[in-house]
Amino acid sequence: MIRIPKKGSKERERMIKEHKACIDSMKGVAGCTILRCKTPGDTTEVSGGIHEDFQLNRVLLRMRGQPARNKLVVICTKVEKEWRIGRLSGIRGVPPVFVTDKVYDNEQDPQHDIFLMRLDELAESDGMPEHFHEGWKRRSDNWVAT
Amino acid sequence: MAWMRLTGYADKFGVHPGDKIRFYVNCDGPKNYDVQVMRMINGDTNPRGPGLVEKPVKASCNGNYAGRRQVIYSGSYGCHKDEPEFRVDSFTLQGWIWPTTPKTHPKYWKHGAQGLMGKWSKNKGYGLFINEEGCLEVRINEHKIATNAPIRDHAWHFVAASFNAATGEVVLYHEPQIVYALDPPIPPVKKKLGGVKIKHDDIPFTVACYVDRKDTAPEARASVPAGVVMGGPYNGKIDSPRLCNRALSRLEIETMKQGAQRGMSERRHAGPTGELATAIVGAWDFSAGINTAMGHDKGPFRYDLTIVNCPTRAMTGHNFSGHNFDWKHAPEEYGAIHFHDDDVDDARWEVSFEWDVPADTKSDSYVAKLTTKDGDEDYIPFFVTPRVGQEQSKIAVIIPTISYMAYANEHLANNAGGAELLVYRVPIMQHQNMFLAEHREYGGSIYDTHTDGSGLCLSSRLRPILSIRPKYDHFLMQAPWQYPADLHLICWLNQMGYKYDVITDEDINYDGLARIKNYNVLITGSHPEHNSGPELDALHDYTQQGGRLMYMGADGWYWVHSFHPAYEHLGRGVITEMRRCESGIRTWRADPGEYYHQSTGELGGMWRYRGRYLHTVAGTGMSSEGFDISSYYSRTPESNDPRVAWAFDGIGYDEKLGNFGFVGGGAAGTELDIVDTMLGSPPHTLVVATSAGRHTEAYLLVMEDYGFNQQGLDGTQHPRVRSDIAYHETPNGGGCFAFSSIAFCGSLPWNNGKNNISKLVGNVLDRFMKDGPLPPAPKSAIKHRGRADYDQPLNKKRK
Repeated sequence: MIRIPKKGSKERERMIKEHKACIDSMKGVAGCTILRCKTPGDTTEVSGGIHEDFQLNRVLLRMRGQPARNKLVVICTKVEKEWRIGRLSGIRGVPPVFVTDKVYDNEQDPQHDIFLMRLDELAESDGMPEHFHEGWKRRSDNWVAT
Repeated sequence: MAWMRLTGYADKFGVHPGDKIRFYVNCDGPKNYDVQVMRMINGDTNPRGPGLVEKPVKASCNGNYAGRRQVIYSGSYGCHKDEPEFRVDSFTLQGWIWPTTPKTHPKYWKHGAQGLMGKWSKNKGYGLFINEEGCLEVRINEHKIATNAPIRDHAWHFVAASFNAATGEVVLYHEPQIVYALDPPIPPVKKKLGGVKIKHDDIPFTVACYVDRKDTAPEARASVPAGVVMGGPYNGKIDSPRLCNRALSRLEIETMKQGAQRGMSERRHAGPTGELATAIVGAWDFSAGINTAMGHDKGPFRYDLTIVNCPTRAMTGHNFSGHNFDWKHAPEEYGAIHFHDDDVDDARWEVSFEWDVPADTKSDSYVAKLTTKDGDEDYIPFFVTPRVGQEQSKIAVIIPTISYMAYANEHLANNAGGAELLVYRVPIMQHQNMFLAEHREYGGSIYDTHTDGSGLCLSSRLRPILSIRPKYDHFLMQAPWQYPADLHLICWLNQMGYKYDVITDEDINYDGLARIKNYNVLITGSHPEHNSGPELDALHDYTQQGGRLMYMGADGWYWVHSFHPAYEHLGRGVITEMRRCESGIRTWRADPGEYYHQSTGELGGMWRYRGRYLHTVAGTGMSSEGFDISSYYSRTPESNDPRVAWAFDGIGYDEKLGNFGFVGGGAAGTELDIVDTMLGSPPHTLVVATSAGRHTEAYLLVMEDYGFNQQGLDGTQHPRVRSDIAYHETPNGGGCFAFSSIAFCGSLPWNNGKNNISKLVGNVLDRFMKDGPLPPAPKSAIKHRGRADYDQPLNKKRK
């Protein structure tokens, strides 16, 4: 497993910077990914990000693979105007709840803030034998099965 | 917080001019709402594009209406009205169960006891339950007698309860079919209830729920029976429920497992023995009438159950041996119904308003726009489709309504945390998703698992489908998907001034070739993934006879669908069924033995595994998917072939085709199709443009294209992760143009339709819409071609 880099580490700062640059370059695209658009808002030529920063790529995959319970999500509160960050309940019938008061005016910035929140929230490592729990036998292991 | 106070649906997707369409609205809060019929031309609010385009239509139903709350009573069950024989003094209830959620989280939306079978409500009557602790429980009036053995989920158990009114003895049996080495024994629970007489009410006998209450509120008329609201919805399978009118001994219970068994006596009486013949009240056999909404009673009284909300049938029973996978060939092993608390077959709302569509109405995409003074809003989309023989245009757009139903009220962003691995970003939920996250009674999509985690394989259109809405960006692409994405095409047709009709999947399914033969060209939606066999038959008949097909998307013709025959009286294609079988992109996977549809008995899964390759329909078939961003195409030398060069008039050879768009920022994206002559693309197919090598790591080869997992399957590496724009001629002057990407239509209206994707599609449409056969291919193009010999120079050398 690729470790989540520690706070203050050079790797972490590099990833945050790269993630931000990618997200900023995606503003205006209907969709987004963690790659840099050569021309902002235009996906004709993309590079960097997950294609060139292996550690960033793997850390993002680990974040994305977390189970639904308490997982951060973006909620659009006014179409094309306002977005906020929420958390999934992981329980059928219990809707997501807002976790911050911050209101975003674009759909890309919350993606970056969620990346920062997850860097702080996720354990440095998981999925190793010392993290074994009974749930591994019952499909509540880290990787979500649909 | 109320995310949506207005929701609604119509009684049909497509209405003919001169016919009536009815609308059903839930207005939960506001006193009034306004209705305005609109032509719905563009539903994408992306500020880079034309924005929402809706044009008011004069309609007799426009106006202000009193709002009222309407509710969906989800959860499937069986019921039969009260009968004298159900009013037992003593009883035995028995059957097999395979519960999926015997114990639920306290916050689970239907947390609490689950009814298995009986006639019990408000401390009156009798019934068998799973209690809140997940243990088997029998209720006799206010008395509750339970085991203390939590029932194992996803396992078969034989359960029974008997009550002898004369002695007051209650016996409760919980006998797991599978017993593991360290399982404690579960002895029968015995208790004496002195002087207890079962109180009876005029409520129905029920299976998989209990009667919660009689309710005189107007919205409760949507329940079945009207005004009787069920509670305690059960999640899981029930097989062979029985009711007898006395306390049977354990041996008699064993004998009663056999059911009515008329063959045991030459008199053909119901009852496995002469003595039990007098005890049977009901002996239900769910393997009978699998394609109906009835639970057949093989006992003497024929108390067939009404099966409400369309649970999943053709499910393996407690005795499934694995030797036969088709329920039609071994019905005795398919005696189970799988009930779910979020099943819904029909919202059954009362009509809020209706529109008699004038006979001269233009065939087009429409909505009933609902608004309130407080800013509430919902749209109910529908399509005016011409009657067969009264076509209004040479062009028909096929609205992929089966695919809309498959995606109806999809919950993936909420349910499947893993969906993030698919989309490569954090999902964005809109108010529709937030509303549905709370209102599970609106039912899910065929992409979802039920609230109990089992696969969802049936979808009804008689409920508000909040994913079929303008202004709705889907989390998969952070952009329009399905209905609003198909509006990109409608928008472009309007920008360019084409005259077109719209027809729906169910029109073609029911009317066959007659529905389409009078059109010169058919245009598909962006993602016609889900299709019935009759629909595909008609499309093949059409192109075989000189029809022209423009396949505007990708991942089409993928899944086998069938319409449930038990709902035909409510209209065309009310409930569609699809099973996710041995391969394909599957958000859930059917269990062994559960591949055959309950609706038609046909084998479900991918058309590919029915020997009907996707590539045969329009020339290309799905090879990969990814949902982060889209890319663009380059022309190939084959685009200069005189057979197809006309399509590129006005487009330079080196132009980047579609490096813009409202879905992922490019024309080549999301799900991608390629030419593969080994999978049904005709050998003379020309690949005129391709997006090879331009996709991100998020794009992955489809699993049906490889035999074992290995690295190298993503868009940065695998040569099959690409989209091919392709052309081939069909016999009798017909042809197919496949644009092979779901994002493709998102590029059409870019820059008000002034772009090279628009130019290409316009060239194709102009040629395809002309009367008469297409100009013949040059004689030099008529030659023998193999399937594999395109790219095997090695073999050629050997020859």
